[in-house]
Amino acid sequence: MIPKRVSSIKFEVLSPQEVRRMSVAKIITPETYDDDGFPIEGGLMDTRLGVIDPGLKCRTCGAKAGECPGHFGHIELAAPVIHVGYAKLIGKLLNATCRECGRILLKNEKRDKFIAEIEKSRELGQDFEDIVKEVFRVTKGIKKCPHCETEQMEVKFDKPTFFYENEHRLTPKDVRERLEKIPDDDLPAFGMDPKAVRPEWLVLTVLPVPPVTVRPSIILETGQRSEDDLTHKLVDIIRINQRFMENKEAGAPQLILEDLWELLQYHVTTYLDNEVSGIPPARHRSGRPLKTLAQRLKGKEGRFRGSLSGKRVNFSARTVISPDPNLSINEVGVPLVVAEELTVPIYVTDKNVEEAREYIMRTEHPKANYVIRPDGRRIRVMDSNREELAEKLEPGWIVERQLKDGDIVLFNRQPSLHRMSIMAHYVRVLPYKTFRLNPAVCPPYNADFDGDEMNLHVPQSLEAQAEAKILMTVQEQILSPRFGGPIIGGIHDHISGLYLLTRGEKNFTKEEVMSIIRPLNITKLPEPKYDDMWTGKQIFSMILPDITIEFKAEICQNCEECKGEECENDAYVVIRDGELITGTIDEKAVGAFKGIIIDEIMRKFGSEETRKFIDNMTQLAIRAIMNAGFSFGISDEDIPDDAKKQIRDLIKEAERKVDELIQAYREGNLEPMPGRTVEETLEMRIMQVLGRARDQAGKIASQFLGMDNPAVIMAVSGARGSMLNLTQMAACIGQQSVRGERIGRGYTYSNRTLPHFTPGDLGAEARGFVKSSYKDGLTPVEFFFHAVGGREGLVDTAVRTSQSGYLQRRLINALQDLKVDYDGTIREQTSNMLVQFRYGEDGVDPMKSFRGKAVDVKRIIREVMAEEGKEV
Amino acid sequence: MPLDRRVLARKYFTHERLVKHQIDSFNRFLDEGLQRVIDEQGRIELDIPDTYVKLGKVEVGRPIVKEAEGSRLPLYPAMARLRNLTYAAPVYLQCQVIDGGKELDEEWVEIGMLPIMVKSKVCNLNDVDDVTKYGEDPLDPGGYFIINGSERALMTLEDLAPNKILLEREERYGEPIEVAKVFSQRSGYRALVVVERNRNNILEVTFPQLPKPVQFVVLMKALGVETDQEIVTMVSENPEIMKFMLENVEVAEVDTQEEAIEYLGRRVAPGQSKEYRIERANQVLDQYFLPHIGVEKEARRPKAFFLARMAEAVLELTLGMRREDDKDHYANKRLKLAGDLMEEIFRVAFLRLIKDVKYQLERAKVRGRQLKMSTAVRSDVLTDRIMHPMATGNWVGGRTGVSQLIDRHNYISVLSHLRRVISPLSRSQPHFEARDLHPTQWGRICPSETPEGPNCGLVKNFAQYAEVSVGCDEKEVQEILFGFGVEPVAR
Repeated sequence: MIPKRVSSIKFEVLSPQEVRRMSVAKIITPETYDDDGFPIEGGLMDTRLGVIDPGLKCRTCGAKAGECPGHFGHIELAAPVIHVGYAKLIGKLLNATCRECGRILLKNEKRDKFIAEIEKSRELGQDFEDIVKEVFRVTKGIKKCPHCETEQMEVKFDKPTFFYENEHRLTPKDVRERLEKIPDDDLPAFGMDPKAVRPEWLVLTVLPVPPVTVRPSIILETGQRSEDDLTHKLVDIIRINQRFMENKEAGAPQLILEDLWELLQYHVTTYLDNEVSGIPPARHRSGRPLKTLAQRLKGKEGRFRGSLSGKRVNFSARTVISPDPNLSINEVGVPLVVAEELTVPIYVTDKNVEEAREYIMRTEHPKANYVIRPDGRRIRVMDSNREELAEKLEPGWIVERQLKDGDIVLFNRQPSLHRMSIMAHYVRVLPYKTFRLNPAVCPPYNADFDGDEMNLHVPQSLEAQAEAKILMTVQEQILSPRFGGPIIGGIHDHISGLYLLTRGEKNFTKEEVMSIIRPLNITKLPEPKYDDMWTGKQIFSMILPDITIEFKAEICQNCEECKGEECENDAYVVIRDGELITGTIDEKAVGAFKGIIIDEIMRKFGSEETRKFIDNMTQLAIRAIMNAGFSFGISDEDIPDDAKKQIRDLIKEAERKVDELIQAYREGNLEPMPGRTVEETLEMRIMQVLGRARDQAGKIASQFLGMDNPAVIMAVSGARGSMLNLTQMAACIGQQSVRGERIGRGYTYSNRTLPHFTPGDLGAEARGFVKSSYKDGLTPVEFFFHAVGGREGLVDTAVRTSQSGYLQRRLINALQDLKVDYDGTIREQTSNMLVQFRYGEDGVDPMKSFRGKAVDVKRIIREVMAEEGKEV
Repeated sequence: MPLDRRVLARKYFTHERLVKHQIDSFNRFLDEGLQRVIDEQGRIELDIPDTYVKLGKVEVGRPIVKEAEGSRLPLYPAMARLRNLTYAAPVYLQCQVIDGGKELDEEWVEIGMLPIMVKSKVCNLNDVDDVTKYGEDPLDPGGYFIINGSERALMTLEDLAPNKILLEREERYGEPIEVAKVFSQRSGYRALVVVERNRNNILEVTFPQLPKPVQFVVLMKALGVETDQEIVTMVSENPEIMKFMLENVEVAEVDTQEEAIEYLGRRVAPGQSKEYRIERANQVLDQYFLPHIGVEKEARRPKAFFLARMAEAVLELTLGMRREDDKDHYANKRLKLAGDLMEEIFRVAFLRLIKDVKYQLERAKVRGRQLKMSTAVRSDVLTDRIMHPMATGNWVGGRTGVSQLIDRHNYISVLSHLRRVISPLSRSQPHFEARDLHPTQWGRICPSETPEGPNCGLVKNFAQYAEVSVGCDEKEVQEILFGFGVEPVAR
């Protein structure tokens, strides 16, 4: 078969002839079924329109229900009616053309100028709507026809479907007659192609009736038939249409005819769109508004957003995720029950027919679930037919075998905000019922294990599998296209583990070393640094590839003068030829988002080596932290009474200062800061004083806690938490704020926050300063203010998530068709419209950039110098 | 010896206590609310001369079940739950038909079934010593209804205080203006009256049925305060405010009350005949302007005083003598409890019933039958109208989620659900300020319990020791004030 490609799609308006031509049946009666429940000929369920009941045959194509696609019918309307969707355009056309001769209200030369302009825009692939708008604007102002000199009257468009000329109502018939008079030559000036749209087609004279398959009826449990909303609406239309016709033939008075005409217009309008403003929606007997044509398309659950952009898929699975540090970051643990359900197709050829046969014959896990014969029949492989199928199997068949180790699958966590939200993993079939993943891949998915669920998809074609393996595997996504740094790296315990391992000169016996590196594939130990003792730095070096790099670690205190390798904090990391010389490994070295070592390995050795490093690093870190032992409990927040007293004094002092400031303010002695009022100054100064007090309290606390405190270790290494968190736990929680200000709302009528204070109290306590620590516990007033501040955070997250989702949707809709071409330009996919001459106007792929910068000058210098054998 | 607070706390945390607000409110509805709704109506007028129905006392029976064979047996909650019945009691109304001036016999008619709150004063469990015999959990707090076998609680709704002047600053066409708002409420009808200072320092008033704002002075004159001096002094005697008022009086478009009412008539009924315009203006003035003060002609003077207070407040805000009112201050909030909500639906249902009774009686009259209430009342009309909102939570006025299926996940969740307070503010808009924990919520609303997500800060719960006060009769307050020498407004 020759593949066919759609080169373009053009939308036209159905002409009455076209409607009749494609119709297979004229629908004349509102009845649907006869007494035997058989569709009536000429009714809405006519079997020529297709069939939905099993057993019946379509009279047009002879196919059975489910095979016949359905065929259109038509209704001849007794009188023309306006199509609501085009009513606005009709109004504009009436005002732009002569009421007598139907010509456009422009001289021929002027018209041609507009037509030429539109033609030019069209050729350039640009929007010509503005020019058309201009044509309508210009013509509306013209009072006299330049062709036949007739005076023009303004036609008023009254929503949804009425037109008035000088208070006189134009019937759809009048409207249609006027539109008929518009000559083909004038139409291009309105941006209309006379072959595609004749203006009179915008007024309906014949209504297409969609096939029954579009509006299937359902049979309730009671055996009653329940018709689709569209069918109900069409019945209404036919009924009124018939009444109208009968009345017309009987010569009924004009008034009655007009009423019926209006009713017909109403039914046709609501058939097309039941949410038109200005008319009441057509309702079901129960009072529920009907869901008609426009409602099927619109909105989140409509055809576009619900059925076309958002389809449901097969070959997917969803369950809770949990961590497994023994997996590679490239892998995903798939529960056996899931693996037994999901399948991968094997396209049987001469070469693999035996392999496929084996799968069919198997009775355990990686076995065949289905086979598909060349005629498209799916047959389930069961004990009863297993041998028969295996026998019959031959090239051209497809065997659907169960998912097994090494298959490639796509793994996804919503919201899919960036491309790392869907990555390809290799399958590891595991027992139990959760998806397992290496905790190092949590950051790109933004996943945690508090009940998160994730989706898994199995690519079915070989092309899709290849694409997934080459482009989408986790190791190919280590560098983020957002900022050109690694987004995958050690988290939490990985960082504290390596910190504990590499900090200072820790010594490990051979036994300890072997226990720590056991999961790693290390066959040779380096020379021990001290007699029979290895240092933590040496152990870490075992997994390091051959890189040379120097940087300041996360724990760096930012001393005024950096002592480099002699740093007494062991915060200056030097790695030479794959050997960690000095420095502590922490978040800056191996963390997600920061990981300088990961970055370096990625650039020097590529993704495969980096993946191995991360796999090794996470396992090493886990062994290291287990070897050292690491725990955190409430007693780790304990500080001695001495420290407590110091903190108390400090805060008392700060409160005294605040009182002084207030005193100064009351006496009018407070000097306002530039550009601020006195009140603002006071607030800022108080915030400053109290903020400083808290920081100092934190310092005192951390002094007493010492560098060996697990909380401190976590905070300084960047594993989890911050010094601020620690300060709040051990020393002082500090000022509670709402929208950046101290808490000032409350009993405004007596000018205080709470009745516990005197009116006008501006002091620290009265405005939400919490001097207790979490460990000590809060006073009731403190607790309340803390809740006030805490509430703001809750509200903020709630409001932000909904807003960012909407923002994301709009951004994606705006950018979805843009693509970087091979020549580096950005173009719109279908029209090839140029958007940017160079991607991002600098042509830099952020993923391959160095942390957002196009060139890493330092690195180039270093490499060049190294080539020449010089020291940097 | 220090007080052992545990004893107190234990005493306090009995289950009756925790849902007291629900039960008390419903009891209050039974005692006063029902009768109030009947009295508001007073009688059912028919379109036949001298024929009407006089409505008297209303009484509620005990929850019963009407069996298919016609017998009526007392119903207990457990049975209602198991048999998917509604725990409801019949409501009886005393009424008397006056047919063509002739008083017929007084009758007690059953007008419908009213869902009864479990453990309220007419609940059948009250007469029972050992509730376990009737399948009831002795620890169950009650305070909810049973509709078709499902337990439904009415949420407490938080609302801005009605009949209270609230000052605000707003922005109109880029310029800050001051407005005073009042939600004037009278038996279910709510009218928003706004007084605002426009750009030219002229005070303007907006209220329902009025297409455009009218000048404050015009309205004062329409209310019968004719002299400029009286208008100014009624607002304030502060010279600064009087300066503003003089400006206002100067630009007034009318002089006398008659002119003012005519002016209003042109606004509310343009293009109508003069008589109709004036009639309509008078009607609007009495019915739609500050209805909480009164809907009769005599209430106009008190209304004028109230309007003057609003004007004073606006000007004081302009001059910085007052601050804006804090809408989230709990003093400016009122809670609608189960009883108030029941009153709302009962009122609507009862009006419906009256319409139906009227139709039935008129039909009976036309057919020459005897007018008898017991045959004219179709009790299903009222029952359905009450049951439907309670079963679906779709209250009158389009509020949804008012009645909710109670959360029986565990004992505590039931208690929490019965103590929930819902703010009718939209979930989709940020409303940062309304979601904040306001210091005035101390002791009233729990600072910690609020859902995360879109309802954060809008759905609240009572604090442990919170109690809901119910307000008292205005008459009593008036008496006391007059006793102190306050002069009443001449009506």
